[in-house]
Amino acid sequence: MDGISITLQHYLFLAALLFSLGVFGVLVRRNALVVFMSVELMLNASNLTFLAFARDAGMDVGHLPALFVIAVAAAEAAIGLAIIIAVFRSRGTVNVDDIRTMRL
Amino acid sequence: MLALVNPFTDAFPGAPENLANLLWVIVALPLAGAFLCGVLGKFMGRANTNFLACFTVFASFILSCLTLWAVGAQSTQFISPASGVPVRWALWLDLGRWFSAGDFSAHYGFLVDRLTAAMLMVITGIGFLIHLYSTEYMEHDDGYWRYFAYLNLFVAMMLTLVMADNLVLLFVGWEGVGLCSYLLIGFWYRDTEKAWAGRKAFITNRIGDFGFLIGMFLLVLLVGATEQMGRETALGRSNFSDIGRARAWVTAVHDQGPLNLEVLREWALRMPAETAKDRPGMTLGTTITTEGPLKGKTFGQVLTAALLLLLLGAAGKSAQIPLYVWLPDAMAGPTPVSALIHAATMVTAGVYLFCRLSFLLVLSPTAMAWVAMIGALTAIWAALIAFAQDDIKKVLAYSTVSQLGFMFMGVGVGVFWAAALHLVTHACFKACLFLGAGSVMHGNADETDIRRLGGLRKEMPWTWATFAIATLAITGIVPLSGFFSKDAILHGAHTTEVAGYPWVGHTVYWMGLFGALCTAFYMTRLYVLTFEGKRAPDARVPHAHESGFRMVFVLVFLAFLSVVGVVWGIPELVPGPGGRKVALMEGYLAPAMNLADRLASIYDTVTHTESSPWLGFAIAWAVALVGGATAWLVFRSWLPARAGKPLPNYIALFWSWARAKFYVDELYDLLIIRPFTVLSKGLYKIVDAGLIDGVAVGGTAGVLRRVGGWLRYTQTGNAQNYATVMAVGLLISIGVVLTWVLR
Repeated sequence: MDGISITLQHYLFLAALLFSLGVFGVLVRRNALVVFMSVELMLNASNLTFLAFARDAGMDVGHLPALFVIAVAAAEAAIGLAIIIAVFRSRGTVNVDDIRTMRL
Repeated sequence: MLALVNPFTDAFPGAPENLANLLWVIVALPLAGAFLCGVLGKFMGRANTNFLACFTVFASFILSCLTLWAVGAQSTQFISPASGVPVRWALWLDLGRWFSAGDFSAHYGFLVDRLTAAMLMVITGIGFLIHLYSTEYMEHDDGYWRYFAYLNLFVAMMLTLVMADNLVLLFVGWEGVGLCSYLLIGFWYRDTEKAWAGRKAFITNRIGDFGFLIGMFLLVLLVGATEQMGRETALGRSNFSDIGRARAWVTAVHDQGPLNLEVLREWALRMPAETAKDRPGMTLGTTITTEGPLKGKTFGQVLTAALLLLLLGAAGKSAQIPLYVWLPDAMAGPTPVSALIHAATMVTAGVYLFCRLSFLLVLSPTAMAWVAMIGALTAIWAALIAFAQDDIKKVLAYSTVSQLGFMFMGVGVGVFWAAALHLVTHACFKACLFLGAGSVMHGNADETDIRRLGGLRKEMPWTWATFAIATLAITGIVPLSGFFSKDAILHGAHTTEVAGYPWVGHTVYWMGLFGALCTAFYMTRLYVLTFEGKRAPDARVPHAHESGFRMVFVLVFLAFLSVVGVVWGIPELVPGPGGRKVALMEGYLAPAMNLADRLASIYDTVTHTESSPWLGFAIAWAVALVGGATAWLVFRSWLPARAGKPLPNYIALFWSWARAKFYVDELYDLLIIRPFTVLSKGLYKIVDAGLIDGVAVGGTAGVLRRVGGWLRYTQTGNAQNYATVMAVGLLISIGVVLTWVLR
């Protein structure tokens, strides 16, 4: 394994890349489902960061937030998908441009 | 009743301390009555309200009689908080501290000496009679519960005024009666003119009250400066040579407060007049050296200023020049109110105030001269206006102003007992006159124009008889009370010399004599036009009807009092202070006026020459007869004989000026009200409407609306836009942190 060794920086760069992709997806894509998947991407990017630091420091405690995030992401996926289905049933679309309920 | 006739009895059967502890009940009863009538009166019904209102005042009257009896006895005394020595012929109840602010404190306490006792008899006695009269007079008015609530409140406030043991509490009563006066003048508030009359009274009184307040503040500063100089300067320490009394006084200044009457009395005792050169220590001529607004002035100057400001307050309440204009308009209220508040009791508050502070007044000859001259001028001025008024109540109102002027004359020349006596007798006969006028109105469909009355003598015999007696009393015909009380004042003025103002006594005497002549003239005119002759052809109702039992009873009783009140004024009747024989009232009030008389004679500020009053009385009697006879001839024979012919020019001119009240209201309107209105309107337009409403309030709203209008476009409702803003913001924050903070 000499020559190329994977260091902490590599993990962090990968995580930053994934996070940026996620942000990009959330901000740009119009399909609510894709926006949702992008959010998952951001969550996983943060998971990766946690685990990378945990491994680098040799402390298992860094795994805890990652487990929490996975749990939260699962819950979010369940509820978020339910909302999207409900919205689709009532409006016939999942295009976020058409769902402007935050303006009075 | 024994105490009423012979005040020198020393036979009060009860323990005076027990009575002193009950003093608060005298005030509390009418106050409770006011509350109950005001809150429950509508549900209790007319009869219950009438009963309750009369009962509370009558119960106060009974207690007042007991206190009158008690203060007639020498054994009735309390220990003065300011000097530690007993004060005789007086009751005192201290209910504890009312409030304190910094060094200043005021107690809630009641003090009844013989002066207060005399006032109590007037307020509760005549007050009860007028309550009784009102039950019939107001029997057709739906606002009866409001009326009796106000009337009871008035009695409570007036009692607070006369019983207060300090000027702060006195001021509460002073303002309270002003409030009730306002409420009752504007009682029929749906009538705009009457509502305005109430406002005029209130505002005019406020001007006076302003003077009263500033005067009180000056007295507070004065006592404070005395206390401080007494402690800190060698000069002041010799005033305080009697260390026990000095300590008591200083303690009282801090505990009871500087405006406590006993504290002020002790101050007057400690502060010799300027003329007492041989006395060591501070005098009224000493310059104040303590820091504060009084520094550099002398004690005497400040005292004079304070008294003149109090005179302004008294002029407001007691309707003296220049603030008398509200009283004639105050006749808009119900007639019993005019009798009780605007003739018998409230308007005498100024006279009471100066009798109460007589020991301060005699220290300042300047203030005395002012009081006397204001009184004399008012007495004549109001009498001249009364000549040509055609409204029966207006004539009586100006007559009240004029008679109050007489009382001020008495106060100003230092015959306080005569002023107080005139106050009492005037309360009786003027209440009788006003209630008689009310009876006339009641029987003539509320007609008040005396040109359209006439000939009531046969139709209203009881009203006629009582009105005639009261007219004779106020005119000053011998066997009636008004004669001796008014002429005690005139005699006092004639024989008194106020230090530094030798002309005041005589000037006031001649002016008073002229005032008495005028009084006789206009009162006889009023009487003749109302009761004599034939009934006017344009009368409102063809036949007048006599009033009912309750009204007539009150009239008769008051007429009776107007006659028997003479007992108090007959000169040289009983042995008095100094071994000479004095009138009953002078002897009775001697303990209350003792200090003033003592100070006046020690410092020679007021000198009374002893002389027999009988010659002066004869002159005054002749003057009254001449005035009355002239009016009788003019209005019974001369004028009817000249019917159709115009009056001589000079009389017609005087008549039209007097009828227009010498244009004083118009003058005030031009000099004060108009500029004030213009100023107010300007202030309203520029400051209120322009700066506050336009710039401050409107400007804030406008700026916010404009900015909000711009920011409105950022609210798209699109979650992604918001998220973008958040992401960009986060990015910038991170950039800032990385670039500048974590560098």
